Amino acid sequence: MAYTRDEIFNKLSDFVAQQFIVEKDEINMDESLIDQGVIDSLGLIEITTFIEKQFGVTVVEEDMTRENFGSMNKMVDHIFRAVNK
Amino acid sequence: MTDNIKRCTKCVLSASFPNINFDENGVCNFCRDEMYHTADEDVLDKSKEEIIRRFESGKGKSQYDAVMCYSGGKDSTYTLMLAVEKYGLNVLAFTFDNGFISPVAFENINRVAESLNVDLLTIRPSLKFMKKLIRASSFNPVYTKRTLTRISSNCNSCITMVNILALRMALEKKIPFILAGFTLGQIPLNTIIYKNNYRFFQDSRKPILDKLRKAVGDEIDKYMCIDEPLLDSVTEDPYNVNLLCIEEISEEKILEKIRKTGWTQPEDVDGCSSNCRLNAFNNFIHEQTLGYNPYELELSHLIKNDLLTREEALEKIQDKSETQVNAIIEELNITPDELSSLKEIYKKK
Repeated sequence: MAYTRDEIFNKLSDFVAQQFIVEKDEINMDESLIDQGVIDSLGLIEITTFIEKQFGVTVVEEDMTRENFGSMNKMVDHIFRAVNK
Repeated sequence: MTDNIKRCTKCVLSASFPNINFDENGVCNFCRDEMYHTADEDVLDKSKEEIIRRFESGKGKSQYDAVMCYSGGKDSTYTLMLAVEKYGLNVLAFTFDNGFISPVAFENINRVAESLNVDLLTIRPSLKFMKKLIRASSFNPVYTKRTLTRISSNCNSCITMVNILALRMALEKKIPFILAGFTLGQIPLNTIIYKNNYRFFQDSRKPILDKLRKAVGDEIDKYMCIDEPLLDSVTEDPYNVNLLCIEEISEEKILEKIRKTGWTQPEDVDGCSSNCRLNAFNNFIHEQTLGYNPYELELSHLIKNDLLTREEALEKIQDKSETQVNAIIEELNITPDELSSLKEIYKKK
Protein backbone atom coordinates (compact mmCIF):
# COMPACT_ATOMS: atom_id res chain seq x y z
CA MET A 1 0.00 0.00 0.00
CA ALA A 2 1.34 3.43 -0.96
CA TYR A 3 1.47 6.22 1.61
CA THR A 4 2.30 9.88 1.18
CA ARG A 5 5.00 11.35 3.39
CA ASP A 6 2.32 13.33 5.29
CA GLU A 7 0.24 10.22 5.93
CA ILE A 8 3.29 8.40 7.29
CA PHE A 9 4.20 11.38 9.46
CA ASN A 10 0.67 11.64 10.89
CA LYS A 11 0.34 7.93 11.66
CA LEU A 12 3.79 7.72 13.25
CA SER A 13 3.42 10.89 15.30
CA ASP A 14 -0.08 9.84 16.49
CA PHE A 15 1.40 6.52 17.61
CA VAL A 16 4.35 8.13 19.40
CA ALA A 17 2.15 10.72 21.13
CA GLN A 18 -0.33 8.14 22.36
CA GLN A 19 2.05 5.36 23.34
CA PHE A 20 4.77 7.46 24.91
CA ILE A 21 2.36 9.81 26.65
CA VAL A 22 3.68 12.98 25.07
CA GLU A 23 2.09 15.95 23.28
CA LYS A 24 3.07 16.22 19.61
CA ASP A 25 4.26 19.79 20.01
CA GLU A 26 6.66 18.65 22.74
CA ILE A 27 8.57 16.52 20.21
CA ASN A 28 11.46 17.99 18.22
CA MET A 29 11.07 16.18 14.90
CA ASP A 30 14.76 16.55 13.97
CA GLU A 31 16.25 15.25 17.22
CA SER A 32 16.64 11.71 18.48
CA LEU A 33 13.62 10.53 20.51
CA ILE A 34 16.08 8.82 22.83
CA ASP A 35 18.10 12.00 23.40
CA GLN A 36 14.84 13.89 24.09
CA GLY A 37 13.88 11.31 26.71
CA VAL A 38 10.71 10.34 24.82
CA ILE A 39 11.67 6.68 24.37
CA ASP A 40 14.03 4.08 25.84
CA SER A 41 15.27 0.87 24.22
CA LEU A 42 11.88 -0.80 24.72
CA GLY A 43 10.34 2.21 22.98
CA LEU A 44 12.64 1.66 20.03
CA ILE A 45 11.41 -1.95 19.76
CA GLU A 46 7.86 -0.69 19.96
CA ILE A 47 8.37 1.78 17.12
CA THR A 48 10.08 -0.76 14.82
CA THR A 49 7.28 -3.27 15.43
CA PHE A 50 4.68 -0.56 14.76
CA ILE A 51 6.44 0.34 11.49
CA GLU A 52 6.45 -3.32 10.42
CA LYS A 53 2.79 -3.86 11.29
CA GLN A 54 1.38 -0.51 10.14
CA PHE A 55 3.35 0.04 6.93
CA GLY A 56 4.45 -3.50 6.09
CA VAL A 57 8.08 -2.40 6.20
CA THR A 58 10.35 -5.12 7.54
CA VAL A 59 13.15 -3.57 9.56
CA VAL A 60 16.25 -5.63 8.81
CA GLU A 61 19.58 -5.35 10.59
CA GLU A 62 21.15 -3.07 7.96
CA ASP A 63 18.26 -0.60 8.41
CA MET A 64 18.80 -0.36 12.16
CA THR A 65 20.97 2.74 12.05
CA ARG A 66 20.89 6.20 13.56
CA GLU A 67 20.59 7.52 10.02
CA ASN A 68 17.19 5.79 9.68
CA PHE A 69 15.94 5.98 13.27
CA GLY A 70 17.77 9.05 14.63
CA SER A 71 14.69 11.34 14.59
CA MET A 72 11.00 11.38 13.69
CA ASN A 73 11.76 12.95 10.30
CA LYS A 74 14.48 10.37 9.59
CA MET A 75 12.08 7.54 10.44
CA VAL A 76 9.39 9.04 8.20
CA ASP A 77 11.90 9.36 5.32
CA HIS A 78 13.03 5.77 5.85
CA ILE A 79 9.45 4.44 5.79
CA PHE A 80 8.58 6.61 2.78
CA ARG A 81 11.56 5.22 0.82
CA ALA A 82 10.71 1.66 1.82
CA VAL A 83 6.99 1.80 0.92
CA ASN A 84 7.70 3.47 -2.41
CA LYS A 85 10.49 1.15 -3.54
CA MET B 1 -11.09 0.42 50.43
CA THR B 2 -10.22 4.07 49.82
CA ASP B 3 -7.18 6.28 50.05
CA ASN B 4 -6.81 10.03 49.92
CA ILE B 5 -5.40 10.03 46.41
CA LYS B 6 -7.57 11.19 43.51
CA ARG B 7 -7.88 8.25 41.13
CA CYS B 8 -9.84 7.31 38.01
CA THR B 9 -13.21 5.89 39.01
CA LYS B 10 -12.78 2.86 36.70
CA CYS B 11 -9.07 1.97 37.05
CA VAL B 12 -6.43 2.96 39.62
CA LEU B 13 -4.46 5.61 37.71
CA SER B 14 -3.99 8.60 39.99
CA ALA B 15 -4.04 12.32 39.31
CA SER B 16 -0.22 12.40 39.44
CA PHE B 17 0.17 9.97 36.52
CA PRO B 18 1.74 11.79 33.52
CA ASN B 19 -0.63 13.45 31.03
CA ILE B 20 -3.74 12.10 32.76
CA ASN B 21 -7.09 13.84 32.60
CA PHE B 22 -10.53 12.89 33.87
CA ASP B 23 -13.97 13.39 32.32
CA GLU B 24 -17.04 14.59 34.26
CA ASN B 25 -17.55 11.06 35.62
CA GLY B 26 -13.99 10.86 36.89
CA VAL B 27 -12.98 8.41 34.13
CA CYS B 28 -9.42 8.85 32.86
CA ASN B 29 -8.14 9.14 29.27
CA PHE B 30 -6.47 5.69 29.55
CA CYS B 31 -9.90 4.08 30.17
CA ARG B 32 -11.36 6.20 27.34
CA ASP B 33 -8.73 4.68 25.00
CA GLU B 34 -7.16 8.06 24.33
CA MET B 35 -3.79 7.27 25.91
CA TYR B 36 -1.48 4.30 25.92
CA HIS B 37 -2.96 1.16 24.31
CA THR B 38 -2.12 -1.96 26.30
CA ALA B 39 -4.40 -4.33 24.40
CA ASP B 40 -5.28 -4.83 20.75
CA GLU B 41 -6.81 -8.10 19.53
CA ASP B 42 -5.11 -7.89 16.16
CA VAL B 43 -1.63 -7.39 17.65
CA LEU B 44 -2.25 -10.16 20.19
CA ASP B 45 -3.43 -12.63 17.53
CA LYS B 46 -0.48 -11.84 15.26
CA SER B 47 1.97 -12.18 18.16
CA LYS B 48 0.45 -15.52 19.13
CA GLU B 49 0.77 -16.84 15.57
CA GLU B 50 4.36 -15.61 15.33
CA ILE B 51 5.34 -17.19 18.65
CA ILE B 52 3.94 -20.60 17.68
CA ARG B 53 5.57 -20.42 14.24
CA ARG B 54 8.98 -19.40 15.60
CA PHE B 55 8.91 -22.00 18.40
CA GLU B 56 8.13 -24.73 15.86
CA SER B 57 11.03 -23.78 13.61
CA GLY B 58 13.50 -22.93 16.39
CA LYS B 59 13.04 -25.90 18.74
CA GLY B 60 15.62 -28.64 19.14
CA LYS B 61 18.50 -26.91 17.38
CA SER B 62 20.63 -26.01 20.42
CA GLN B 63 21.51 -27.34 23.85
CA TYR B 64 18.52 -25.32 25.14
CA ASP B 65 15.53 -23.92 23.27
CA ALA B 66 15.12 -21.00 25.62
CA VAL B 67 16.69 -19.16 28.52
CA MET B 68 13.98 -18.12 30.97
CA CYS B 69 14.51 -15.09 33.20
CA TYR B 70 13.16 -16.71 36.33
CA SER B 71 12.65 -14.49 39.39
CA GLY B 72 10.62 -17.03 41.36
CA GLY B 73 7.63 -14.67 41.41
CA LYS B 74 4.16 -15.88 40.44
CA ASP B 75 4.23 -14.57 36.85
CA SER B 76 7.64 -15.98 35.90
CA THR B 77 6.77 -19.27 37.62
CA TYR B 78 3.64 -19.59 35.51
CA THR B 79 5.54 -18.56 32.37
CA LEU B 80 8.14 -21.25 33.05
CA MET B 81 5.33 -23.79 33.39
CA LEU B 82 3.84 -22.63 30.07
CA ALA B 83 7.22 -22.88 28.34
CA VAL B 84 7.82 -26.43 29.53
CA GLU B 85 4.34 -27.93 29.68
CA LYS B 86 2.37 -26.08 26.99
CA TYR B 87 5.08 -25.34 24.42
CA GLY B 88 7.41 -28.27 25.16
CA LEU B 89 10.57 -26.16 25.28
CA ASN B 90 13.86 -27.34 26.75
CA VAL B 91 14.49 -24.42 29.11
CA LEU B 92 17.48 -23.11 31.01
CA ALA B 93 16.06 -21.17 33.98
CA PHE B 94 18.19 -18.18 34.97
CA THR B 95 17.78 -16.43 38.31
CA PHE B 96 19.37 -13.07 39.06
CA ASP B 97 19.95 -12.86 42.80
CA ASN B 98 20.03 -9.17 43.71
CA GLY B 99 20.70 -10.02 47.37
CA PHE B 100 17.15 -9.09 48.41
CA ILE B 101 15.20 -12.11 47.18
CA SER B 102 12.88 -13.49 49.86
CA PRO B 103 14.14 -16.83 51.29
CA VAL B 104 10.71 -18.31 50.53
CA ALA B 105 11.08 -17.19 46.91
CA PHE B 106 14.36 -19.12 46.72
CA GLU B 107 12.64 -22.22 48.07
CA ASN B 108 10.03 -21.70 45.34
CA ILE B 109 12.71 -21.31 42.66
CA ASN B 110 14.42 -24.58 43.61
CA ARG B 111 11.16 -26.46 44.08
CA VAL B 112 9.65 -25.32 40.77
CA ALA B 113 12.86 -25.94 38.76
CA GLU B 114 13.01 -29.41 40.30
CA SER B 115 9.35 -30.13 39.64
CA LEU B 116 9.58 -29.01 35.98
CA ASN B 117 12.92 -30.79 35.56
CA VAL B 118 14.77 -27.74 34.20
CA ASP B 119 18.40 -26.69 34.66
CA LEU B 120 18.81 -23.65 36.88
CA LEU B 121 21.60 -21.09 36.83
CA THR B 122 21.89 -18.30 39.42
CA ILE B 123 24.04 -15.18 39.13
CA ARG B 124 24.59 -13.08 42.24
CA PRO B 125 26.59 -9.83 42.02
CA SER B 126 28.37 -8.76 45.20
CA LEU B 127 26.06 -7.17 47.78
CA LYS B 128 28.36 -4.15 47.97
CA PHE B 129 27.86 -3.51 44.26
CA MET B 130 24.10 -4.06 44.47
CA LYS B 131 23.74 -1.62 47.35
CA LYS B 132 25.68 1.02 45.40
CA LEU B 133 23.47 0.43 42.38
CA ILE B 134 20.24 0.68 44.37
CA ARG B 135 21.39 3.95 45.89
CA ALA B 136 22.39 5.27 42.47
CA SER B 137 19.04 4.33 40.91
CA SER B 138 17.11 5.76 43.86
CA PHE B 139 18.77 9.16 44.09
CA ASN B 140 19.70 10.03 40.49
CA PRO B 141 17.54 10.67 37.40
CA VAL B 142 18.94 7.56 35.68
CA TYR B 143 15.83 6.73 33.64
CA THR B 144 13.46 8.99 31.75
CA LYS B 145 10.17 9.92 33.39
CA ARG B 146 8.37 8.09 30.59
CA THR B 147 10.24 4.85 31.27
CA LEU B 148 9.15 5.18 34.88
CA THR B 149 5.45 5.27 33.97
CA ARG B 150 5.44 1.47 34.13
CA ILE B 151 8.33 0.51 36.38
CA SER B 152 10.30 1.81 39.35
CA SER B 153 13.87 2.95 38.85
CA ASN B 154 15.37 0.17 40.99
CA CYS B 155 13.29 -2.55 39.33
CA ASN B 156 14.41 -1.19 35.96
CA SER B 157 18.09 -1.43 36.95
CA CYS B 158 17.67 -5.08 38.00
CA ILE B 159 15.62 -5.94 34.92
CA THR B 160 18.13 -4.29 32.59
CA MET B 161 20.87 -6.49 34.09
CA VAL B 162 18.64 -9.58 33.82
CA ASN B 163 17.91 -8.81 30.16
CA ILE B 164 21.55 -8.26 29.22
CA LEU B 165 22.80 -11.31 31.14
CA ALA B 166 20.10 -13.48 29.54
CA LEU B 167 21.00 -12.12 26.10
CA ARG B 168 24.69 -12.86 26.73
CA MET B 169 23.81 -16.44 27.74
CA ALA B 170 21.63 -16.86 24.65
CA LEU B 171 24.42 -15.59 22.39
CA GLU B 172 27.11 -17.73 24.04
CA LYS B 173 25.03 -20.90 23.95
CA LYS B 174 23.24 -20.08 20.69
CA ILE B 175 19.84 -20.30 22.41
CA PRO B 176 17.14 -19.02 20.04
CA PHE B 177 14.63 -17.67 22.60
CA ILE B 178 14.71 -15.54 25.74
CA LEU B 179 11.59 -15.76 27.89
CA ALA B 180 10.36 -13.50 30.68
CA GLY B 181 7.24 -13.30 32.81
CA PHE B 182 6.13 -9.78 31.90
CA THR B 183 2.45 -8.94 31.54
CA LEU B 184 0.89 -6.28 29.31
CA GLY B 185 0.97 -3.00 31.16
CA GLN B 186 4.47 -3.90 32.39
CA ILE B 187 5.72 -3.97 28.82
CA PRO B 188 4.38 -2.29 25.69
CA LEU B 189 1.94 -4.14 23.43
CA ASN B 190 4.34 -4.28 20.48
CA THR B 191 7.09 -6.00 22.45
CA ILE B 192 5.43 -9.38 23.04
CA ILE B 193 7.92 -10.91 20.60
CA TYR B 194 10.90 -9.12 19.08
CA LYS B 195 14.35 -9.86 17.71
CA ASN B 196 16.96 -8.77 20.23
CA ASN B 197 19.78 -7.07 18.34
CA TYR B 198 22.20 -5.77 20.98
CA ARG B 199 23.98 -3.28 18.74
CA PHE B 200 20.75 -1.66 17.55
CA PHE B 201 19.70 -0.93 21.13
CA GLN B 202 23.19 -0.03 22.34
CA ASP B 203 22.74 3.64 21.50
CA SER B 204 19.49 3.87 23.42
CA ARG B 205 21.11 2.42 26.54
CA LYS B 206 24.13 4.74 26.46
CA PRO B 207 22.65 7.66 28.45
CA ILE B 208 21.65 5.21 31.23
CA LEU B 209 25.00 3.45 31.23
CA ASP B 210 26.87 6.75 31.38
CA LYS B 211 24.91 7.84 34.46
CA LEU B 212 25.33 4.48 36.19
CA ARG B 213 29.07 4.29 35.40
CA LYS B 214 29.48 7.72 36.96
CA ALA B 215 27.66 6.60 40.09
CA VAL B 216 28.89 3.02 40.60
CA GLY B 217 31.96 2.71 38.39
CA ASP B 218 32.84 0.45 35.46
CA GLU B 219 31.71 -2.66 37.35
CA ILE B 220 28.28 -1.99 35.86
CA ASP B 221 29.69 -3.08 32.46
CA LYS B 222 29.91 -6.67 33.73
CA TYR B 223 26.12 -6.77 33.94
CA MET B 224 24.94 -4.25 31.36
CA CYS B 225 27.33 -4.75 28.43
CA ILE B 226 28.29 -7.53 26.03
CA ASP B 227 31.85 -7.85 24.69
CA GLU B 228 32.55 -7.02 21.07
CA PRO B 229 34.13 -10.45 20.19
CA LEU B 230 30.95 -12.22 21.28
CA LEU B 231 28.80 -9.78 19.29
CA ASP B 232 31.04 -10.27 16.24
CA SER B 233 30.47 -14.04 16.44
CA VAL B 234 26.66 -13.75 16.31
CA THR B 235 25.04 -15.28 13.26
CA GLU B 236 21.44 -15.14 14.45
CA ASP B 237 19.92 -12.83 17.08
CA PRO B 238 17.61 -14.50 19.60
CA TYR B 239 13.94 -13.56 20.00
CA ASN B 240 12.61 -12.20 23.27
CA VAL B 241 9.20 -13.70 23.93
CA ASN B 242 6.76 -12.62 26.63
CA LEU B 243 4.46 -15.63 26.73
CA LEU B 244 2.22 -14.43 29.54
CA CYS B 245 1.01 -11.50 27.43
CA ILE B 246 -0.89 -13.81 25.08
CA GLU B 247 -2.66 -15.67 27.89
CA GLU B 248 -5.97 -14.39 29.17
CA ILE B 249 -5.63 -15.51 32.74
CA SER B 250 -6.48 -13.96 36.07
CA GLU B 251 -4.05 -13.78 38.99
CA GLU B 252 -6.31 -16.13 40.92
CA LYS B 253 -6.01 -18.80 38.20
CA ILE B 254 -2.23 -18.33 37.97
CA LEU B 255 -1.91 -18.88 41.72
CA GLU B 256 -4.13 -21.94 41.53
CA LYS B 257 -1.94 -23.46 38.82
CA ILE B 258 1.48 -22.69 40.32
CA ARG B 259 0.51 -23.91 43.79
CA LYS B 260 0.41 -27.40 42.28
CA THR B 261 4.22 -27.23 41.98
CA GLY B 262 4.49 -26.41 45.70
CA TRP B 263 4.88 -22.65 45.13
CA THR B 264 3.98 -20.53 48.18
CA GLN B 265 3.52 -16.76 48.64
CA PRO B 266 6.38 -15.15 50.61
CA GLU B 267 5.23 -13.09 53.60
CA ASP B 268 8.13 -10.61 53.65
CA VAL B 269 7.21 -8.79 50.42
CA ASP B 270 4.58 -6.15 49.58
CA GLY B 271 1.23 -6.64 47.81
CA CYS B 272 2.69 -6.00 44.34
CA SER B 273 5.54 -8.54 44.57
CA SER B 274 5.82 -12.26 45.06
CA ASN B 275 9.59 -12.58 45.34
CA CYS B 276 11.56 -9.39 46.11
CA ARG B 277 12.03 -7.75 49.51
CA LEU B 278 13.12 -4.52 47.79
CA ASN B 279 9.78 -3.92 46.13
CA ALA B 280 8.09 -2.00 48.95
CA PHE B 281 11.15 0.28 49.16
CA ASN B 282 11.26 0.71 45.35
CA ASN B 283 7.60 1.73 45.28
CA PHE B 284 8.14 4.10 48.18
CA ILE B 285 11.03 5.80 46.35
CA HIS B 286 8.91 6.04 43.16
CA GLU B 287 5.95 7.53 45.02
CA GLN B 288 8.15 10.05 46.81
CA THR B 289 9.93 11.02 43.59
CA LEU B 290 7.07 11.07 41.08
CA GLY B 291 3.89 11.05 43.18
CA TYR B 292 2.30 7.82 41.95
CA ASN B 293 2.73 4.07 42.38
CA PRO B 294 4.74 2.33 39.60
CA TYR B 295 2.16 -0.50 39.43
CA GLU B 296 -0.77 1.76 38.55
CA LEU B 297 -0.52 1.22 34.80
CA GLU B 298 -0.10 -2.56 35.00
CA LEU B 299 -2.97 -2.96 37.45
CA SER B 300 -5.18 -0.64 35.38
CA HIS B 301 -4.50 -2.77 32.32
CA LEU B 302 -5.62 -5.86 34.26
CA ILE B 303 -8.80 -4.07 35.44
CA LYS B 304 -9.57 -2.88 31.90
CA ASN B 305 -9.29 -6.48 30.68
CA ASP B 306 -11.44 -7.93 33.48
CA LEU B 307 -8.50 -9.85 34.94
CA LEU B 308 -8.57 -8.02 38.27
CA THR B 309 -11.20 -5.96 40.09
CA ARG B 310 -10.55 -2.32 41.01
CA GLU B 311 -10.88 -3.26 44.69
CA GLU B 312 -8.24 -5.99 44.35
CA ALA B 313 -5.90 -3.57 42.59
CA LEU B 314 -6.39 -0.91 45.28
CA GLU B 315 -5.68 -3.50 47.93
CA LYS B 316 -2.38 -4.36 46.25
CA ILE B 317 -1.30 -0.72 45.95
CA GLN B 318 -2.23 -0.03 49.55
CA ASP B 319 -0.51 -3.14 50.90
CA LYS B 320 2.77 -1.39 51.66
CA SER B 321 4.65 -2.28 54.76
CA GLU B 322 6.47 0.50 56.55
CA THR B 323 8.53 -2.16 58.30
CA GLN B 324 9.78 -3.51 54.97
CA VAL B 325 10.61 -0.01 53.71
CA ASN B 326 12.42 0.94 56.90
CA ALA B 327 14.41 -2.30 56.94
CA ILE B 328 15.85 -1.49 53.50
CA ILE B 329 16.46 2.17 54.40
CA GLU B 330 18.51 0.89 57.33
CA GLU B 331 20.36 -1.78 55.30
CA LEU B 332 21.37 0.87 52.75
CA ASN B 333 22.24 3.51 55.38
CA ILE B 334 19.95 6.06 53.76
CA THR B 335 19.74 9.38 55.59
CA PRO B 336 16.64 11.57 56.15
CA ASP B 337 18.30 14.27 54.02
CA GLU B 338 18.62 11.87 51.13
CA LEU B 339 14.96 10.92 51.45
CA SER B 340 13.87 14.53 51.49
CA SER B 341 15.85 15.16 48.27
CA LEU B 342 13.72 12.67 46.28
CA LYS B 343 11.06 15.19 45.17
CA GLU B 344 13.75 17.33 43.55
CA ILE B 345 15.40 14.61 41.44
CA TYR B 346 13.47 15.21 38.24
CA LYS B 347 12.96 18.90 38.88
CA LYS B 348 16.71 19.56 38.65
CA LYS B 349 16.79 18.52 34.97
